[in-house]
Amino acid sequence: MNTNLKISNVTKIYPGCVANDNVSLEFNSGKIYALLGENGAGKSTLVKILSGVIKPNEGEIFLNKNILKLNSPLDAKKNDIGMVFQHFNLFETLSVFENLIIDSNETKEVLREKIDSIMKKYNFLINLDVPVLNLSAGQKQKVEIIRCLIRNPKVLIMDEPTSVLTEQETSELFLSLKKFSEEGILIIYITHKLKEVMQLCDEVAVMRKGKLVSVSEIKSENIESLAKKMVGQNLKTIKKKKLETSADQLIKITNLNFISEDPFETNLNNINFSVNRGECLGIAGISGNGQSELFQILSGEIISDKSSIEFNKNYIGDLNPQERREYLMAFSPEDRLEQAAIPQMKIFENVALNNFKSSNFFNNGLINESKIKEHAKKIISDFNVNTDNIELKSQFLSGGNLQKLIIGRELITSPDLLICFNPTWGLDVGAINYIHETLIKINEQNKSIILISTDTDELLKLSDKISVIHKGELSKIMSAEEVTSEKLGVLMGGGEID
Amino acid sequence: MIKIVKRDQPSRTIFFLTPVLAIILTLFAGGLIFYILGFKPFEALKFFFIVPIADMYGFSELLLKATPLCLIAIGLSFCFKSNNWNIGAEGQLTFGAIVSGGVALLFYNQEGFYILPIVILAGAIGGMLYASIPAILKTYFNTNEILVSLMLVYVSKLILDYLVVGPWSNPEGFNFPETRQFSESARLPILFEGLRIHAGIFLALAAVVVSWFIFYKTYLGFQMKVSGFSLKTAKYAGYKGKKMIILVFLISGACAGLAGVGEITGPIGQLHREVSPDYGFTAIIVAFLGRLHPVGIIFASLIVAITYLGAETAQIFMQIPKYTGQVFQGMILFFLLASDYLLFFKIKFKGSKK
Repeated sequence: MNTNLKISNVTKIYPGCVANDNVSLEFNSGKIYALLGENGAGKSTLVKILSGVIKPNEGEIFLNKNILKLNSPLDAKKNDIGMVFQHFNLFETLSVFENLIIDSNETKEVLREKIDSIMKKYNFLINLDVPVLNLSAGQKQKVEIIRCLIRNPKVLIMDEPTSVLTEQETSELFLSLKKFSEEGILIIYITHKLKEVMQLCDEVAVMRKGKLVSVSEIKSENIESLAKKMVGQNLKTIKKKKLETSADQLIKITNLNFISEDPFETNLNNINFSVNRGECLGIAGISGNGQSELFQILSGEIISDKSSIEFNKNYIGDLNPQERREYLMAFSPEDRLEQAAIPQMKIFENVALNNFKSSNFFNNGLINESKIKEHAKKIISDFNVNTDNIELKSQFLSGGNLQKLIIGRELITSPDLLICFNPTWGLDVGAINYIHETLIKINEQNKSIILISTDTDELLKLSDKISVIHKGELSKIMSAEEVTSEKLGVLMGGGEID
Repeated sequence: MIKIVKRDQPSRTIFFLTPVLAIILTLFAGGLIFYILGFKPFEALKFFFIVPIADMYGFSELLLKATPLCLIAIGLSFCFKSNNWNIGAEGQLTFGAIVSGGVALLFYNQEGFYILPIVILAGAIGGMLYASIPAILKTYFNTNEILVSLMLVYVSKLILDYLVVGPWSNPEGFNFPETRQFSESARLPILFEGLRIHAGIFLALAAVVVSWFIFYKTYLGFQMKVSGFSLKTAKYAGYKGKKMIILVFLISGACAGLAGVGEITGPIGQLHREVSPDYGFTAIIVAFLGRLHPVGIIFASLIVAITYLGAETAQIFMQIPKYTGQVFQGMILFFLLASDYLLFFKIKFKGSKK
C-alpha cells in the first residue's frame, strides 16, 4: 500500500527565533528522502512536530490525505510513524528484550518470536538478554529500529542516525534502510552529511534558517551543489600540508596491557606505539573496540604500569590526569556533556576543570575567580566561542561552541600533546572545519596529537600515521599515504591486509 | 484549563521559593489534620507553632533544638553536595556522644579548664571514626554507603544501650540505665541564667561560616561541586576521588559527633539511652529544606526545631501524641520534594498568552 505524508504550511515559532517558517513538503513511500541542513536549520523541529513532541503554531500534517492530530509521541506511534532519535531513548540497565517490549501489550512469547523474525530478516545480530549499556552505539541504534519495526510503521524517521556510527555500521544501516524502503516503508532521513545523502537518498529537501530552500532529485545534485544550498556559500576544503616529521620522540607506549574487572569493558592487549613531535597519530576503529579504555589510560583516568607510558623521557603511567597535565599533556574526551564539561556550571567554572599549576586558578586552596575569568575570556576570543558572557551556564552553548571551549581550554596551556577522542562528534560543518583547522595548526607548531576517532574521513584528513584498534589490539602503524578508507575498513572489521 | 509545561531550565527563583511553599502547604495540611481530629485548626496550629516560642524560655528551647540540627545538616551538606549519601548521622552523633561521654566519665570527679576541650575533641573524633566506616567501605570495597551508614545507626544505639546498662552505668544509680553525672568542667557553659541554651550554638554558627567559605571560596568546594554533578568529570579533571569521599564523610561525622557532644554536655549532662530524638535523621530534612546552603540551613533548622517544641506543647495542652512532630517533619519533606516539580515544570493557565 502506498503511503503519502504531507506537511502543509507548518510554522513553529520559539521565543526569539522562527524554527520552521511556512514549510510544506510531500513524501511518498518507495523512496528515501533526505532532510538536509546545518545544526539549527530547523530539521529537528520539523521532526519533533512529525513525532508529536511539539505542536506547530500553524500548519497541518496529512497521512494518506487524512489530517493528523499529533498531540503526543503516542499519537505518532498510533498513526504508524516511527522515530529513531539522534540520542537514544533506551533504559540502559534493562535488557534489550525488556527495552523492546516495554510499551507493548502483546505477550512476551509473541513478541520474542516477532523480534526474532525481524532480526533474522534484516540480519541484525544482537543478544536480547544483555543490558543495553553493554551495547555499542550501532547496536543500540538497531534496538531502537527494531522497536519501531515491531509496530509495522508506515513512516520511519531517522534523525542524524550516523553521528554515532562507524563506516561499517553506517553501510549496514544504509542496507537496512534500503530494504525497508523496498518493503514500502516511507523513510525520512535527517542529516547534515552530504556524502550520505548522495549515497542513500532518492530525493533531498534542504533547509536553512528555518526555511525550506529546495526540493530536488538526487540525480540532479552533487556534493558541491548541496553544500552550497545548505550553507548558503561555498565551503572551503581543508587540506593538511605535508610537514617534515621530526624523529624526536615525544610519547612512547610499551607493552601496555589492561584487564578490566568490568566484563563489559574491552581489555587491551599489548599496545605499543610512539608519536614524534609535530605528528598526528590517528587511531581508527569501530566504537567499543577499546578506544574508550585506551583514552582513559592515556589520560590517566585509569592508572597503568609506571613504565608503560614514557612521555618526554619521563615514565608517567602511574600519574593521574592532573599530574599528567603538568607534563604538558592535554585531553579532550568523547563525551562533551557528561565528562569534558558540566552543563549546569558556568562557562568560566568549566574552564577551571583544567587546573594547571601555573595558571594559578587556585592559590593555597582558594578559588582565584578573577584569574579564571580572565583565562575564560581569552579562550572565548582565541577560539571563536560564540558568546561574550562567561557567566552563562555552558548548557546554553551549542555543541560546536562547547567543543571549541573544551579544545580551547585544553590548548591554551600550549601542551606538547593533545589526546582527543571523537572531537567532532555530532557537530555541524562549520564547527567541524574549525576544529580540524585548529588541530592542523597544532601540528604546524610542532606539537603532537593522538586522535582517536570513529570517523575515517577525519582520520585520513588529519593524521600522519594511522593505526586501527580492534578488540583491544592495535594494528601495525601505517603512514597516512599508504592507507585508504577501504584498507582501514578491512582492519576495523578484524581482517588482515598485507 | 490548566496545562503543565516543561521549563527550559530549572528556575532559580523557584529554587529558593519551594521551601517556603513547602512550609505553607505543611501548615495547611497540618491544619486539615487537626480539623479532622476534631480540633480548631488555627488554635491547634497556634499551640504548635506560636505558643512554644512565645517567651524567652521557649525561644531558648528553640535554639537549643536548632543547634544540633543545624550542625549536623551543615556536615551532611558536604556529603550531599558531592554525591555521597550519608544518612547515618544519627549513628555518628551517637558514637560521638559515646566517645566524648566516655572521656567525660574519666574526669567525673575532677575539675579543670582542660577537660571540656578534650571532651569536645573526643566527640568530634568519635563521629569521624564512625563516619569513616561507610567511607572506607565505599572507597575500597564498593559498598553502598546508604545501607552501611544507616545500619551503623542501630549498631551505635545498641552499643550505647549496652554501655549505659552495663559497664558504664552509675554505681550509685539504683540500676537506672544511665551513667554518672559529668563534672561541671565537662559541661558546656550555659549562656543565660535559667535558660538551657548553651555554648554549643557557637559551634553551629562557626560551622555555618566555615562551610560557606569552603563551599564557595575554596578548591575543595569547587571539587565537591564538580563531583556532585558528574563523577566522570571529576575523574577526568584528576581530582582524587577516594580522598574526597573520605574527607566529606569525616567532616560530616565530625559535625554529627559535635552535635552529640553538645547534647550530652549541654542539656543532658550524662549518658543515657536517648541522647538524641533522631536529630541525625531530621537533619537530612533540614539539609534539603535549606537547599544545602549554609544560610538556608540556619532557617531550616529553626523551622524544623519548632516541630519538636510544638509537638511537646501540643501533647501537654491538647493531649495529641508528640509523634505529631514527626508527622510535620515528614510533611515538610514530602511537600518539598513535591514542589520541586515546579523547578522543572511550570503551570500555565489556558487563555493566558506567553
